[in-house]
Amino acid sequence: MKQRTLWSVALISGLALAGCGSAAPTGSSSGASSSGASKSKLVVWDWKSGDKNVASYVEKAKADFAKKHPDVTVEFVAQPFDQYYTLLGAAIQSGKGPDVMLFNGGGQIRDRVDALLPLDEYVAEDKQRLAGWDAFGKDGKVYAAPVTLQGHPIYYNKALYEKAGLDPEKPPKTWDELMSDCAAIKKAGAKCFALGNKEGIGIQFWLSGLGSGILTPKEYDDWIAGKRDWASPDVKQVFKLWKEVNDNGLNNDGANSTAMFNDAFSVFDAGKAAHIIGLMSDVGHWKDFGEFLGDKVGVMQAPVVTAGAEPSLPYDGGIGYAVAKWTKDPKSAADLVRSLTSTDALNAFYTGAGAIASDTTIDVSQAPPAVSTIVSQLKSGKPALHVALSSKTVDLMGRLSQKVLSGSASVDEAVKQLAASDRAG
Amino acid sequence: MAPAVLIIVVLRLWPLLLGVNFSFTGDGDRNGTAVGFDNYVELLSDPLFRTALGNVGLLVVLLPVAVAIPGLLATFIYLRVPGNRVYRSVYFFPAVLSPVIVGAIFNLILAFDGPLNTLLGTIGLGPVDWLGDPGVAMFTVVGVHIWATFGMALVVFLAGFSTLDSALLDAARVDGASLPQTIWHVIIPGLSRTIQFVFVTTMIGMLTSMFGLLYVMTAGGPEGSTYLPEFYIWTQQGQMNRPALASAASTVLFLIMLVVGLAQMSVLRRAGRED
Amino acid sequence: MPGKRLGRWAAAVPMAALALATIYPLVFTTNVAMKTRREYILDRFSPASSLQVDNISAAWNSVGMARYFANSVIVVAFSVLLLLLFGSMAGFALSQLRFRGSKVLFLGCLAALLIPFQVIMVPLARVMADTGLIDTYPGLILAYVAQFLPFTIFLMTSHYRTIPAEIVHAARIDGNTTYGVYRRIMIPLGAPALLSVGILDTLFCWNDVLISLVMMPSAEHRTLMVGVTSLRGQYSDDIPTFASGVLIAAIPVLLLYLFLQRQIADGVTAGSTKG
Repeated sequence: MKQRTLWSVALISGLALAGCGSAAPTGSSSGASSSGASKSKLVVWDWKSGDKNVASYVEKAKADFAKKHPDVTVEFVAQPFDQYYTLLGAAIQSGKGPDVMLFNGGGQIRDRVDALLPLDEYVAEDKQRLAGWDAFGKDGKVYAAPVTLQGHPIYYNKALYEKAGLDPEKPPKTWDELMSDCAAIKKAGAKCFALGNKEGIGIQFWLSGLGSGILTPKEYDDWIAGKRDWASPDVKQVFKLWKEVNDNGLNNDGANSTAMFNDAFSVFDAGKAAHIIGLMSDVGHWKDFGEFLGDKVGVMQAPVVTAGAEPSLPYDGGIGYAVAKWTKDPKSAADLVRSLTSTDALNAFYTGAGAIASDTTIDVSQAPPAVSTIVSQLKSGKPALHVALSSKTVDLMGRLSQKVLSGSASVDEAVKQLAASDRAG
Repeated sequence: MAPAVLIIVVLRLWPLLLGVNFSFTGDGDRNGTAVGFDNYVELLSDPLFRTALGNVGLLVVLLPVAVAIPGLLATFIYLRVPGNRVYRSVYFFPAVLSPVIVGAIFNLILAFDGPLNTLLGTIGLGPVDWLGDPGVAMFTVVGVHIWATFGMALVVFLAGFSTLDSALLDAARVDGASLPQTIWHVIIPGLSRTIQFVFVTTMIGMLTSMFGLLYVMTAGGPEGSTYLPEFYIWTQQGQMNRPALASAASTVLFLIMLVVGLAQMSVLRRAGRED
Repeated sequence: MPGKRLGRWAAAVPMAALALATIYPLVFTTNVAMKTRREYILDRFSPASSLQVDNISAAWNSVGMARYFANSVIVVAFSVLLLLLFGSMAGFALSQLRFRGSKVLFLGCLAALLIPFQVIMVPLARVMADTGLIDTYPGLILAYVAQFLPFTIFLMTSHYRTIPAEIVHAARIDGNTTYGVYRRIMIPLGAPALLSVGILDTLFCWNDVLISLVMMPSAEHRTLMVGVTSLRGQYSDDIPTFASGVLIAAIPVLLLYLFLQRQIADGVTAGSTKG
């Protein structure tokens, strides 16, 4: 009995070897690429380079880099965004990954600076030309160069304003004006706000988009600096209005099951709602909306809720390229990052994808009025409120905001829990 | 046998042990240092993780439904309901699509202003917020999962029927037994082995492969009501950058799976003996 | 019995509705694939204005789908072959050769079946990196084999259990070695089960995104489903192109299923019926 087993084991493992043997050749033919020829290679990970509308951006950046380093080849790997940070985590833990990688500004990069190379010595020349560095820095060092700026302008549909008998060139300046305009728009058969809170993102846009009209300038600056007073009535007001607007039927129906990306944007595109707190880059921006609404896209400032508030455009660095610590050739990797943020390349990004690029020297005078409005507000703009919160608190805020809308949690409770989470870090 | 054992041990059980070991270390500033049971304490105090465990319980409770639906459909096909040949081929279709795609499509169909609610509206029923109501969303996702996988179980049932003694069914018909009576007294006892097999495979499907669907349809929301442990692990690992905490959650999940799995095995084995 | 006939029709109506519900997603996806982005955003459900295939050719050309397609075919073919080989051998050993520890091995195999991939993802990536297998075809093939082998073994074992021991005995008396029994009895008798497990394994491997992403991160090694998934950027709303990619990925498996439909039905069931 025993012998038989042994025999079968021996035989079967022999078969297995044969099986592996047949699998091996395919492996070795591809294995050659990793050992590489004499040319060195840089690998870039992002979730952008696969898009059609950034093709010319990637081309320009590659050409710029090839001029400086003709002997280095560059490979762009467009990863699916859904899995991006998990993949990056796995790569960081196994110590094997790309040389250059794209990051969202804020928490995503700050949590991972241990794996990144400080870029200060390489990008000193670009510091003036580019905006949005703060989102990619930690403890006084910079870890990525900004490509786009991301923020939350309030867009409105001028056609709906006309239909409701309002002056499309005079958007409301205060909360009361906004509410009376909304009443008129409601009569004209449209909703006031397009809101998507399925992912819990709606509240982030709400907080940042309207925050500068609700918090006093001092409260705003303190919030960004980390001294957040959750007991302040103005902070509570943010969440109170969040609930009030929804309770009064000013949002599209089913906000908790409407995805911000991209269902809420579609609601605005289709002219079913008059306002949306949108984005400046990627999607949900002037170019996207303009495709459907033409020149009827307006941009307004946050309406003043609290006396003394000074509305400003909330924005930060959007996405930026960083260099991995483990790269064999930090100098060329950093040069690649510089090529990826060269004026030529960023200009292509702006015209191709409609993003508000980080380069302040790009000429936007030919652009539609919505763009010039946004760009003119950049100078007085401030960092967005939700970006200052930890990813854990932002996650909790998403869930609580849904509870507030559905009525299973009160505004007081939500603010209390957020305060606790924020204090815990 | 040897290569199979080798592969399973090296590429499944060994990583599992590495993970368990890793779960006793810290994250972030405490990276690499031993922290004892800290991660486990944090897990148990996290209401999200508790919701996730509760949902596993819900899945186990819903398991019989997931088995009964294909069973009932197979019964009807076996009884030659008009069009049974078509159903036989078509019902397997969803099983061919990846969960990501199924989820994306149902997102649109189940949207608040989507076609299902429009349909309900025309027959006078109020709209249901399928994916936005925390009391409903988990059932919605499970329902879609059942929709996407019932084809496989159905096929298994149909083959089981082909071994059923048709004389028994005829006898039941002559005796004037109603359909429920026939199912209870003839079909269920006759198919006990098939039913066991479907139970085991369906349970594994529900407990290990809901992730794709969940990710696309609700991503744990609304209000965190549709979290499952796999999803929790995924968020902690990626977005929250807490790999060690994720490892601890993984360990807990595996232990639960083991307990549920073994309990089911023993129940089924007892049932098998009676058979 | 007129009442009975009425009852059958009563069951047929919901079943026909369900059949429609199983086909609808494919129809919907095809329709979306033929729309322009603008058409899609304004109205998702209306029929496409023209039968244009621009999106499909764009999806195919955009990111080197041909290369990904070839990768998928290579990886899935080898994975499934190895799965069937190891799975059938292990199933044979576990069901027919009673040796010491066979019960323990079977239980170990079941335990491995209960590990969701998310649980071992990171440790496994580390093991693969340490052995230099990460980002190679053999690495991904091994990962797939490890992932789906427990299921394959489970199914093959329950199938082989239905083969009466007497047949094996008789073959032995005829002078067959263990290998001879495996070749002459187990392979032919297991053919329907092997075929259906093969198809299910093909489906699993073909539709996988996560394992492939983690194990083969570089661009030239991508599999088709990864390529399709990356057609969506962070916020991309070009759903028609994505739907086209989905179609490209789904058509091969659909064709495979339609060709082998009958064998799947015979095979999946083989393990469950009474022997």
